[in-house]
Amino acid sequence: MPPDTVRLQAQGLKIALRAAAFDDVVRAGEIAGLAGLEGQGQEDYLETLAGHRRALEGAVRADGAVIGSAAQAVRHGVAYLPRDRRSTGIFPTLSVIDNFAAATPGADATLGLIAAGARRKRFAVWRERLSVVARSDSLPITSLSGGNQQKVLLARVLALKPRVLLLNDPTRGVDIRTRHALYDVFTRLAAEGMALVVLSTEIEEILRLCHRVMVFRDGGVQARLDRQDMTVERVIAAMFGRTAA
Amino acid sequence: MRGAWLRVAGAFLVALGLHATGTVLIEGYSEPFAIRAQLVLSCLLAVASVGQTLVVIVGGIDLSVPFVIGFANVVAAQLYGSGWPFPLVCLTVAALAGGIGALNGFLSAALKVHPLILTLGVGTAVQGAVLLWTAGFPTGSAPEALTNFVSIGAEAWIFPVPWLVPATAALLVAVMLVLARTPFGRRLYALGSNPVAARFALISPVRMWTLTYALSAIGAAVAGVLLLGFTGSAYADVGQPYLFQSIAAVVIGGTALTGGQGGYLGTVAGALVLTEINTLLIGLGLQPSMVQAALGAVIIGLVSLYGRAQHVRTTI
Amino acid sequence: MRAISRETRVALALLALLLVLNVALNPLRFAPAAWGTLLGLAAPLICAALASMPAILGGRGGIDVSVGPAMGFINAVLIKTLVIDCGITTAWVLVPAAIAMGAAIGAVNGAIATLVRVQPIIATLGTYLVLSGLTLTLLPAPLGGAPQWLKALSGAWSLLPLAVLALAWLGFKRTPLYDHLLATGSDDRAAYSAGINVTAVRFLSYVITGLFAGVAALALTALIGSADPTIGPNFTLLAISSAALGGVSLAGGRGGFLAAAVGAVDIFLLQSALTYFNVSTFVLQISYGLILVASICINALPSALPRRGAA
Repeated sequence: MPPDTVRLQAQGLKIALRAAAFDDVVRAGEIAGLAGLEGQGQEDYLETLAGHRRALEGAVRADGAVIGSAAQAVRHGVAYLPRDRRSTGIFPTLSVIDNFAAATPGADATLGLIAAGARRKRFAVWRERLSVVARSDSLPITSLSGGNQQKVLLARVLALKPRVLLLNDPTRGVDIRTRHALYDVFTRLAAEGMALVVLSTEIEEILRLCHRVMVFRDGGVQARLDRQDMTVERVIAAMFGRTAA
Repeated sequence: MRGAWLRVAGAFLVALGLHATGTVLIEGYSEPFAIRAQLVLSCLLAVASVGQTLVVIVGGIDLSVPFVIGFANVVAAQLYGSGWPFPLVCLTVAALAGGIGALNGFLSAALKVHPLILTLGVGTAVQGAVLLWTAGFPTGSAPEALTNFVSIGAEAWIFPVPWLVPATAALLVAVMLVLARTPFGRRLYALGSNPVAARFALISPVRMWTLTYALSAIGAAVAGVLLLGFTGSAYADVGQPYLFQSIAAVVIGGTALTGGQGGYLGTVAGALVLTEINTLLIGLGLQPSMVQAALGAVIIGLVSLYGRAQHVRTTI
Repeated sequence: MRAISRETRVALALLALLLVLNVALNPLRFAPAAWGTLLGLAAPLICAALASMPAILGGRGGIDVSVGPAMGFINAVLIKTLVIDCGITTAWVLVPAAIAMGAAIGAVNGAIATLVRVQPIIATLGTYLVLSGLTLTLLPAPLGGAPQWLKALSGAWSLLPLAVLALAWLGFKRTPLYDHLLATGSDDRAAYSAGINVTAVRFLSYVITGLFAGVAALALTALIGSADPTIGPNFTLLAISSAALGGVSLAGGRGGFLAAAVGAVDIFLLQSALTYFNVSTFVLQISYGLILVASICINALPSALPRRGAA
C-alpha cells in the first residue's frame, strides 16, 4: 500500500461557533501534531475525529464512510487514546489484563466464553512490544507505575487493530525513559503504515515526533507547519495568534 | 484479586463461626432438619440477591427487588390458579419482570437519574398495579412440583435437601462463569469501575444497564415464584424483608457499593451469614423487634470489619 | 445568594400546578382558613425532607436512610419514656431531649459512615434496623398522651419548627462549613487537596441531619398527638424522594433548603390531590409511583439530551 493513502478526511469542519471551517487529510505513515493553548479547539477536533464529539458543520470520513459515533470510528479503523489516564483511562478496580482487554473483551471468546490463555497470549505480544513492566498480568492496574499504566492503555487501543491512532497528550505524567520508549513505538507504528494524530501540550514533543503540525486558536486552525518550517518560535507565535518570521 | 477472595473467605468463616456458636448455645441448632431449613432460607435469599449483585457491580442499586418479588409471587399464583400451564406462567412472569427491570435500567442510564429513587418509584407503581389487579386479595396456588422443589423436607435424588439447594449451587457456578469469563461480565466490571473510561472503551452504559437491571428483575421474579412454593399462597408484601437483606448480603459478601468489584460467591456467603444471624437470634429467644435491632448492629459490625471504603486521600 | 437551580424551578412549577389543581378540586380543604391545618399535615414530611438533605449534600454516596426510624424512635421515647413513664411534660425538657437524641443518632451515623468508613447506605441501613427494632421493643403498640402544648404545634403553629429549621440552615450557610460541605459534595478529591477536612465536614452533615430529624420528630409527634411505633420508617423513602424531586442531587454538592422543602410540598400536594379522586389506595400507589418516576425523569431530561457539540 502506498504510504500516502488517505486514511482520514475532515471536510468543512466547524468546531466552534465563531471559528472558520477547515479541511484536513491524514495519510498512512504520517504523524500529525495538534498544538494550541489549552482549550483552543485542538481537543475538540481530536474528539471529533474519534467520533466522540459531533462537529457543528462538516464531516469526518474514514474509508469513505462518514464517522458519526465512536463505535463507527473503531469499525473503520480509527482508535482513540484519551487524555488523563486516571479519570478517563484506567479501570482502577481491575487487573492489568482486564484493563488491556476492556475494549476488546470478545476477541478471545469462543462460544461466548473467554479463553484465559488466549487472552494472556494476546496481551503478551503487546507487553513485549511496548516493554510493559508488570510482575503479573493479574495484579491491579494501580500497582503499576504511571508510565506502565499508559503502555497498557496504549496496548488496549492498539488491540483494536487501528489504521489511524488518535493520541490525546499521550506522554503526560510519564517518566522521561518511558516517554522516549513511547516515541520509538509511535515512530515505528508510523513506519509500518499507521496514521497517527498526536495532541501534545509540549512543543518539543511535537517537534521531535511529528511530520507536520496544526496550531489551533479560537476553535480554528491558526497555522499549519510542515517539518521544515516547524520551530519552537513559529509554533508559539501561532499559539498566540501571531505569525513569526 | 487477593483482597476480594480474602473477604469472601472471611464471610464464609463468619457464617461457620455463627453456626458453631448456635450449636454450642442452642439445643438442636445443628439437627439435620434445622440445617436443611437454614440452607433453604439461605438459598432463597441468595436467589433474591443475584440481581442486586450484578446491579451493584455495575455501580447501581435496585430498590425494586422486593416489589418485583411480590409481583412475581402474586402473578404466578393468580395465573396458575386460573388454569395456565406452569411453564407458561414462569415464562410470562419472567418476561414481564424483565420488562420492568429493563425500564429501570434504561431510564436510569439514559436520563442519568439516580437508580435509588427511580427503582423505588417503578417498584411502588408495580406493586400498586398488582394490588389493583387482585383487588388486594391475591388468590391461586402453587403447583406441587414447585412446593417440592423448595420444601425443607424434600429430597433431591439421594441428597437430604430439596432440589432448590443444588439448583442454587448450579446458579452460583453459572453466574460466576458469566461474570468471570464472558464479555458481558468483563464489561460489567469495567463500567462499574470507571464509567468515563468505559465510554472510551466503547461500552454502552444504556445497553449494559438495561440488560443488567432486566437480569436483576428476572432474578427477583424467580425468587418470588420460589417463595410461592415455599409459603404455599400469594402475598404481595412477601418480598419486603429482601429489600435490605439483598443489599446487606451483597455488601457482607465484599462487593462494594461503589461498583466494579466483588462477585456472587461473596453474596452467597453473605446470604448464609444473614440467615445464621437471624436463626441464632431467634433461637436465643429474642423478640422479632429485637432480632431486627441486633441484625442492624451486626451488619454494621461485619461490614466495618472488612467492607470499609477508601479514605479520600488514597483516591487522589 | 446562589441562583435557584433548574431542577428546583421545575419542582416549583410543579408545586404551582399542584396547588391550582388542589384548590380547584377541593376549595374547602384549601380555603385560607384551613391553611394552618394543611401546614400542620405537611410539616413532618417537610422537616424529614430537610433532614435528609445535609447528608446527601456531602456526596460520595452520602445518604441517611435512618431519618424515618429516628423520628419514630424519638417519638416513642418522648411519649412513652419521658411523658408517660417519667411524667415530664414541660417543653423545656422535651424539646432539648428530642434535639439531643437526634444529634446523637446523627453523630453515630456520621461516625460509622465517615470514621469507620462503612458505605453510608449500609451504615444508616444498620441504624434503620436498630432504631425501628428498638422502637417496637420499647413501644409494641400505639400510645396516646402528648402534652397540650405539643399538640398545639400541629396547626398554624407548625410554622415554628419549620422556621427553626430555616433559621438554623440560614445560620449554617453563613459559616465557611457550608461552602466546605458543597465543595466536598461536588468533588471530594479537589476539596481534600484544597485542605478541607473532608471527613469532619461529612461527619458534621450527618449530625445536622440528626438534629433536623429531632425537630421532624417533634413535628410528627405534634401532628399525631401520640406515640406510634410503625409510622416513622415510612418517612425515610418519602423524604429522600422529596429531596431528589426538589433538586437535591443524590450525587452530592447540589441542592439545599428550598429544594428539599419544595420537593416535600410537591409530594404532599400530590398525595392530597390523588386522595381527592377517591380512588382505591392501589390506584393511589400506582399514580404516586408513576408520577415520582415521571417528574424525576422530566427533571433530568434537559441535561440528558445531547447538546450540540457534544456527542
